[in-house]
Amino acid sequence: MPVEVILPKVDMDMETGSIEAWKVSEGDFVKQGDILFEIGTNKAVMEVEAPASGIIRNLVPASGEPIAVGTPVAWIFLEGEDASDTPPPPAAETAAAPQAQQPPASPSGEAASSAAPASNGHPAPALDSGVRATPLARRTARLHGIAIAEVTGSGPRGRITEKDVLAHLAKRPAEPAPVAARAPAEAPTEGELVPFGPVRRIIASRLSESMRVAPHFYMTAQIDMGALQALLKRVGPRIEKAVGVRPSLTVLLARVVAGILPRHPMLNASVEGDAARLHPTVNIGIAMERDGDLMVPVLRGAEGKNLAELTREFGRLREAVANRTIQPADMRGGTFTISNLGMYGVDSFTAIINQPESAILAVGRTVDTPVGRDGQIVLRPLATFSLSSDHRIVDGVTAARFMADLREAIECPEVLI
Amino acid sequence: MSTLTEAAVESAVRELTYAEAIREALAIAMEADERVFLFGEDVGVYGGAFGVSGDLVHRFGPDRVIDTPISELGIAGAAVGAAITGMRPVLEIQFSDFVTLAMEQIVNQAAKIRFMFGGKAKVPMVVRLPGGSGTGAAAQHSQSLEAWFAHVPGLKVIQPSTPHDAKGMLLAAIDDPNPVLIFEHKLLYKTKGHVPEGDYRVPIGKAAVRREGRDLTIVGSSIMAVRAVAAAEKLAQEGIDAEVIDLRSLRPIDFDTIAASVRKTHRLMVVYEGVKTMGIGAEISAMIAESDVFDFLDAPIIRLGGAEVPLPYNPVLEKAAVPQEENILEAARRLARGEA
Repeated sequence: MPVEVILPKVDMDMETGSIEAWKVSEGDFVKQGDILFEIGTNKAVMEVEAPASGIIRNLVPASGEPIAVGTPVAWIFLEGEDASDTPPPPAAETAAAPQAQQPPASPSGEAASSAAPASNGHPAPALDSGVRATPLARRTARLHGIAIAEVTGSGPRGRITEKDVLAHLAKRPAEPAPVAARAPAEAPTEGELVPFGPVRRIIASRLSESMRVAPHFYMTAQIDMGALQALLKRVGPRIEKAVGVRPSLTVLLARVVAGILPRHPMLNASVEGDAARLHPTVNIGIAMERDGDLMVPVLRGAEGKNLAELTREFGRLREAVANRTIQPADMRGGTFTISNLGMYGVDSFTAIINQPESAILAVGRTVDTPVGRDGQIVLRPLATFSLSSDHRIVDGVTAARFMADLREAIECPEVLI
Repeated sequence: MSTLTEAAVESAVRELTYAEAIREALAIAMEADERVFLFGEDVGVYGGAFGVSGDLVHRFGPDRVIDTPISELGIAGAAVGAAITGMRPVLEIQFSDFVTLAMEQIVNQAAKIRFMFGGKAKVPMVVRLPGGSGTGAAAQHSQSLEAWFAHVPGLKVIQPSTPHDAKGMLLAAIDDPNPVLIFEHKLLYKTKGHVPEGDYRVPIGKAAVRREGRDLTIVGSSIMAVRAVAAAEKLAQEGIDAEVIDLRSLRPIDFDTIAASVRKTHRLMVVYEGVKTMGIGAEISAMIAESDVFDFLDAPIIRLGGAEVPLPYNPVLEKAAVPQEENILEAARRLARGEA
């Protein structure tokens, strides 16, 4: 009996995942533990290992489309098992189930593992039982092979209606039409259409949702970075010696914010229905980029960690993001986010709140700026901080008090001691 | 030749009130079939509490237009007996509220006899029930109890909304070999509409699409169908294209027409004067939810029914207790936005 390779549940609340890329090809011999494919969840991309050794066949195309957890995505034929052994029928829900019988001679051994989506169907969408959607929206999504969770609802309380599914469909890249593919190539009249990857899809839907549900308001302050720079210069080398990583301004800012956030509970809170959930710890998400995608790993319990501990943890997270080994657990549970684009020469910017958090701090570059001090014009290293807050639970004065504390803590870090 | 044409034109534009249309149906049935007779409180010389029987006593005599004592149980029991023996009684319950006194005869006898006697006995009787609110007649004279009877196998329950249908459906009811209850809304009696001359039938169990639309479906019967059409015309000016289905018959119910409409519009609202809870709206909503049409719903179903109160005497409160055109408008706007 061939061994089925299922789409595994790699995250606690995961209902669907996608196959981002196969690392093996149809007919390859795989050893137990070999990397078979990259699985995309809504938080990270991870590698999935072979559950057995044998010849792998019937690969579901790596379309990046959501597939329900538990769906068979390939079969491993053990030694002695003929490739013509019919694998057990695939899960009934899987529209794009592999064909049981492969053509005897495939023109290209890699054809089945190409990234082209199946032309006659899509992977079955997951049940998405937590999504608010009308029956018609679900039906329409089903007919078009869309996972309803991908669709942004415009109805009351975010309910997805048929209109939303159709709008989503209109944005989706068109199916590759075999006839058109064979037509003589014409000069492209439009720019290249780059389909969303799983991470981009999540970014798009979560940020749209945030702008829709959370009334954002913004507050900026120019803060003198002199004291913080001096502090970094003083303790940076010592910390580097201790933990092997030099602390960055971003992690120092995380330390400062973690120090003051306990005094501002509404900025370390989430809207839950008609209530605000006040988080008992400060988990600071740090926005970072990988291959053009936004990732936000979380510094957990930051209020109780010193700069050295945060630096070590931040180093680990940054490396994991770069190496694509970041675990969903590392990107979950943030209560406040810092996004620092100062290193790109950005003076200031406003950010979209990372739901379900209630605020995000956008940091611009530090630039020597003439300011008036004691009747003199002096140059001071100033940076512009922009706080985006969710006005459902954060009022102007609440945000302003946080900004005042932030200024004090940055300009005089000793207050945190 | 020219006389015939004029008559045809005359007939085509002829308008009668709802009450006149019913009276005309009764007269046609009585003329055609001597087994048909009327029965009820003040239906004779007084002409009926709402003037529906009018001059019929003078045209057909007191043996066929019979004033009864004030006993709904007696009227209904006598009608059941007469029907079993082969007569075609048409009885009037002066206010439909009083039908509570006749429940035994209608629900336990009329509805059951044909089944319990294996078809050897039939009860071809028609019960006319003036119902509904809006006349300041208070809690015991204003109810809409039609759903109670639509719950009973063996009964047919109809609720025409136009003079045309009132005549045609009453004639169909008199033809019917089984008991039929016709609920006539008191506020409709004076409404006018085209009524063809002569004998015609409007089938029982067939709904009418009063207005075609794409955006949402409003289902109602009797005066609610009338209010729904008026509301739909206003909605059209706001860009909301409502389809209005006049149920006409509650039992049997024309589910196919409702289903086809909801399949098209994806949104359903049921409007009825009876108390909202456990009513017609619940039944139609459940029928849709149970069927394959469920998959075509793009918004929660809205039930717009009567308030959970005995109908007030105060005319302002009375109006507030029953769906009015403004309520239908408001609910339809919500439905168009997909709100529950």
